[in-house]
Amino acid sequence: MLKLSQRTANVLILSCVVAGFLLLMAIGLTGVKVMQRNLSFTDLVAHTYKVQDAVSEYRILNERLETARRGYLLSASPSFIAVFEKTAAALPPALQRVDDLTVDSPAQQARVARARALMTQQLAIARTSVRQRRATAANFIDDTVVRDTRIIREITLEMSREESGKLAVRDRERVNSIAQLIEITTAGGVLTVMIAIGSLWVIWRYTRDLTLSRDALGRLNEGLEDEVRLRTAELIRANEEIQRFAYIVSHDLRSPLVNVMGFTSELETAAKPLAALVARVEAEAPHLVTPDAKLAVTSDLPESLGFIRASTQKMDRLINAILRLSREGRRVLTPERIDLADLLAGVAASLRHRADELGATIEIEPGMPAVVSDKLALEQIFSNLVENALKYLKPDRPGQILIRSHRRGERVLVEVADNGRGVDPRDHARIFDLFRRSGVQDQPGEGIGLAHVRALAYRLGGVVTVESALDAGATFRVSLPATLSTEAVAA
Amino acid sequence: MNDTRHVTIVMIEDDDGHARLIERNIRRAGIMNDIRHFPDGGSALEYLHSDAEGPTMNGPALVLLDLNLPDMSGTDILAEIKSNDRLRRTPVVVLTTTDDKVEVQRCYDLGCNVYITKPVNYESFADAIRQLGLFLSVIQVPEAEEGA
Repeated sequence: MLKLSQRTANVLILSCVVAGFLLLMAIGLTGVKVMQRNLSFTDLVAHTYKVQDAVSEYRILNERLETARRGYLLSASPSFIAVFEKTAAALPPALQRVDDLTVDSPAQQARVARARALMTQQLAIARTSVRQRRATAANFIDDTVVRDTRIIREITLEMSREESGKLAVRDRERVNSIAQLIEITTAGGVLTVMIAIGSLWVIWRYTRDLTLSRDALGRLNEGLEDEVRLRTAELIRANEEIQRFAYIVSHDLRSPLVNVMGFTSELETAAKPLAALVARVEAEAPHLVTPDAKLAVTSDLPESLGFIRASTQKMDRLINAILRLSREGRRVLTPERIDLADLLAGVAASLRHRADELGATIEIEPGMPAVVSDKLALEQIFSNLVENALKYLKPDRPGQILIRSHRRGERVLVEVADNGRGVDPRDHARIFDLFRRSGVQDQPGEGIGLAHVRALAYRLGGVVTVESALDAGATFRVSLPATLSTEAVAA
Repeated sequence: MNDTRHVTIVMIEDDDGHARLIERNIRRAGIMNDIRHFPDGGSALEYLHSDAEGPTMNGPALVLLDLNLPDMSGTDILAEIKSNDRLRRTPVVVLTTTDDKVEVQRCYDLGCNVYITKPVNYESFADAIRQLGLFLSVIQVPEAEEGA
């Protein structure tokens, strides 16, 4: 096989087969045509026989007329008269029949015309000679009838010869045409066999290629599945490691934090009697109090302690957030059948009070699908998203939050769309990171919600994305498998 | 009537700061019992098993146990105390930062008497220790068994 592309080769093979079939069809049509011609040849031959037959009949009548006339003239027997009259009456129709049959041949028609002229003359003279029989004796020597009869005889013989010639030609043509038919039929048969072999070869080739590619695909698929299993196992291991790491780190960070917070409190407690002492000394012996000591007790110490306390409290919140995420990551998922409409109605109801305070509406589009997933995780995802939507509304327009859902094959897409302040496109990736936030920092929060949403979505085998522009609202899309696989649960 | 004053509090805690804060708050709750502090599992087990004043040899005791220790796991110490015939009646209060459900269950399965998670917030922490002190003042601790 030439190094053609599979596509070109296929087109070539297919056009060959089509051309073969077209040729076969042409051969069939030609065969039918040849057969029709053959039939018309047979008709022509039959016609020639008919002409010859008519000519022979006329010739016989012609001879019989002369014979009957001579018989009467010699014997004067009335029986000859009867024969003569009968033959004379039959002659014109016989010639007319020949005339009718030979309209297609000008040469024969000319002969017929000559024969008719002679016949008219012959009949007239013959009748006269029969009528004159009683007066004179028979004299054939200068009798024109005898001459006419002879000439007519020759004419009819000529006609017969011509028809014989035609017969020979037509017969030859017929034989040739039959031979041609046989040739064409043979060629058709050979071509049919070739096309059949070609078709079979093409079909065999296609089948073989199909089988080969199916096998290859099967092998590839198996390899892919193994690969996916391997990767999934690696991911699960990595994820477990991260969870464990987060857990240990947050725990071990807590321990020193207890000390920092504890001793800060102890310091605060200890600072109080000191402050009281300084105040008493100032009242009773003012010269003993230096401005530095007074400043330290009344301002520097409480301020420093305040900062330490605020920072440790923030650190505590962050550690707790990591701990919560890692704990959520270790929670065993329990897939169950969930009607998203019910679940989202529950989420909306729990935030109704907040929404009413802000004058915002939460609308759930009808036609929510059902999914098989973890209920708690889904509740947390959508609570967070709706809560965020309420949190970052634009104060100068009434808030509208719309939740809609579509089924996309094996996945379900849920959208939470708001008309709030939106997210700068530069921050779209950032907002899903832990402790990262975007826009004006006028709302409380640590930057945990969306990180939590993303972690949960990942665990459910889903993804979460955002589409938004500043001041143009935001649409958060959660794409989830309609049925949470048991492998994901095991992770 | 058992006099809880003789009960020695054995505190196994690797963090000196935590130990100090626990001690201060126990004292503030008015508990004046002896407090023996061990920063690691090895020395604590040594004391529990073979010290002349330890619970095996003499006198009742109560163990305050942290689970995160440098040399061994707190649960191993708990298991050892609860599997030892002379020590198993000694009350063990697990006082630790770990609040993992599995860990809590495991400790109770091993025979721990009370499990307390150290609150990070100091006010809650101090409060918890003071209430523990209050609890210690009314708890009945078994006398050390006479040598078998």
